[in-house]
Amino acid sequence: MSAAAPGIGSTDGRRPTGEPQTLAAPAGLLSDVVAITGRAIRGILREPELFIFALIIPVFFFVVQIGALGKVAEQQLGISDYAAFQLPISILFAAASTSGGNALVLDIAGGYWDKLSLTPAHRSSLVVGNLFGEMFAVLGYSLVLLVFGFLIGVRFDSPVIGPVGLLALTLLFGIGFAAVSIAVALATGSVRATQSTFIIFFPLLFLTPSALPRDLMTGWFEKAVSINPMTYVIEAARSFLFGFDGAVVGKGFLAAALFSALTFGLTALAFRRRVRMG
Amino acid sequence: MSAIQATDLVRRFGEVEAVRGVSLEVAEGEIYGFLGPNGAGKSTIVRILTTLLQPTSGSGAVLGHDVTREPTTVRRLIGVALQEAGLDPKQTGRELLSLQGKLYGLKGKVLGDQVAEVTELVGLTDAIDRRIQTYSGGMKRRLDLASALLHRPRVLFLDEPTTGLDPLSRALIWDRIRELRERFGATIFLTTQYLEEADELADRVAIIDHGLIVRQGTPAALKAEIGADVIDLAVEERESGAARAAITELQASGQLPGGELRGTRDGYTLFVPDGPQNIAVLIRGLDRAGVRFGAVSLSRPTLDDVFLAATGGRMAAAHEDTQAEDGQREPEPEPAGTGRRAS
Repeated sequence: MSAAAPGIGSTDGRRPTGEPQTLAAPAGLLSDVVAITGRAIRGILREPELFIFALIIPVFFFVVQIGALGKVAEQQLGISDYAAFQLPISILFAAASTSGGNALVLDIAGGYWDKLSLTPAHRSSLVVGNLFGEMFAVLGYSLVLLVFGFLIGVRFDSPVIGPVGLLALTLLFGIGFAAVSIAVALATGSVRATQSTFIIFFPLLFLTPSALPRDLMTGWFEKAVSINPMTYVIEAARSFLFGFDGAVVGKGFLAAALFSALTFGLTALAFRRRVRMG
Repeated sequence: MSAIQATDLVRRFGEVEAVRGVSLEVAEGEIYGFLGPNGAGKSTIVRILTTLLQPTSGSGAVLGHDVTREPTTVRRLIGVALQEAGLDPKQTGRELLSLQGKLYGLKGKVLGDQVAEVTELVGLTDAIDRRIQTYSGGMKRRLDLASALLHRPRVLFLDEPTTGLDPLSRALIWDRIRELRERFGATIFLTTQYLEEADELADRVAIIDHGLIVRQGTPAALKAEIGADVIDLAVEERESGAARAAITELQASGQLPGGELRGTRDGYTLFVPDGPQNIAVLIRGLDRAGVRFGAVSLSRPTLDDVFLAATGGRMAAAHEDTQAEDGQREPEPEPAGTGRRAS
């Protein structure tokens, strides 16, 4: 056979001298991440029904909580606007519904992960692009719920800083939570296990001042709530609605950042394992 | 320089040694057929040579670049269509190819031209803007092949590219493989369970069994190794013992030269030199012994015969289980003669 054969697909019949002789060239990490993120967002937009289903439960809890406890909270507990008190819970609940690992685990199970891994792209871009896709979904959920809250009369203390701050906090928490399911997807390659990561959100969400302010709690529950990082995220989120408190907001961002750092660490370990195991 | 080189490749999965010391060399421009039953280690070797999996020991290189130490360079040089065409069903064919191209660093007009070229090459121009979930199995394989060609790779790994396809789709893939070699001089590493596919396409063939290469050479040379013509004899089950006894007697008395007698699903296969003369001897001998038999046919040895001789007849089982992921589990020895009764 000809030792001077050109690469496949070449029609000029010549190969330049030296190595390598294909059209492939380094694209760069940013280009790889942009390409994978674009695909992830396209996938989300192509399944609007999943987007709607992910909103149903948070909206249901939101409406039921307001209906059941709204008057009591306002009259007995002194909470001026129980809908505003509950809105951050719904938004964080929706952010945790993204289960960012689902798309990834389907790629792994279906063989598309292998196909992408066979390209010279930075392998980390395969994970980071998915995370950015999930941020897009979290942003979408949050905006829908903010509009819903606005329609039923919820108002922010500051009409600009309030919503923007709440969105930023939600994105920071949401990407951290998406990283959990991505870590499980990478570590197990199991669709069922990845979908089950949603369960960890329940203790994280309900061992918090989700229904009542922390100063009304007592005993073991109060202690559990105090060590739950989600407590500080929720209190910071409420601070955007009920009166900005820099210290409370700072603690909330710090808690969300630490949570995300921890979950990113787990994701990085799972990613290395996946790459090593092939 | 070799296009592909493997030296003493070993890969263990826990206690299981899926690849047990495989060495091979493929020249540039060669179509190299890699045959073996499920669990023999074919896909494991492909995954090692394409950088998806690290060997436990040994080394592999593509165009002189080590697959473990220079994986990114190797990925730029190779195109791969894996056994299970892993494609994102939510994307259109064009979106998938564009994404793939971008990850290979293609952009702008070059990317557009390459997408158009490979789409035309695999005959998917009319369907390229449809979602992949609407594609048939054959179309998915062709799209997978197209994506493997986008960046003009010099070495192409095709892992069972036609398994599970209808004859029409298979013929189309065969044509494309021939075209890739004839027009572009590509080196092609082709794993397959279909012996006729390897016979039809490959310049050289290796047969792997239980993680080891047990035969290697051109199809013609491997067939010549059999050193005999093949007589297939159909006998009913109740006549099987009598037929065997009669043939053994003919061989013992020197009327038939001593050659391998192998049981088959329909009767026996006898390997003898000078088939045209000895087929007459066989028929007369069976007649004299009063053995009732059916069709008798004479043929040259095929790659099937080479394979059966090399692996003890595990191919039929492999055909029945085309979806299994080989190399990821312990090789499961089938009883010899699953396809043809052991003699």
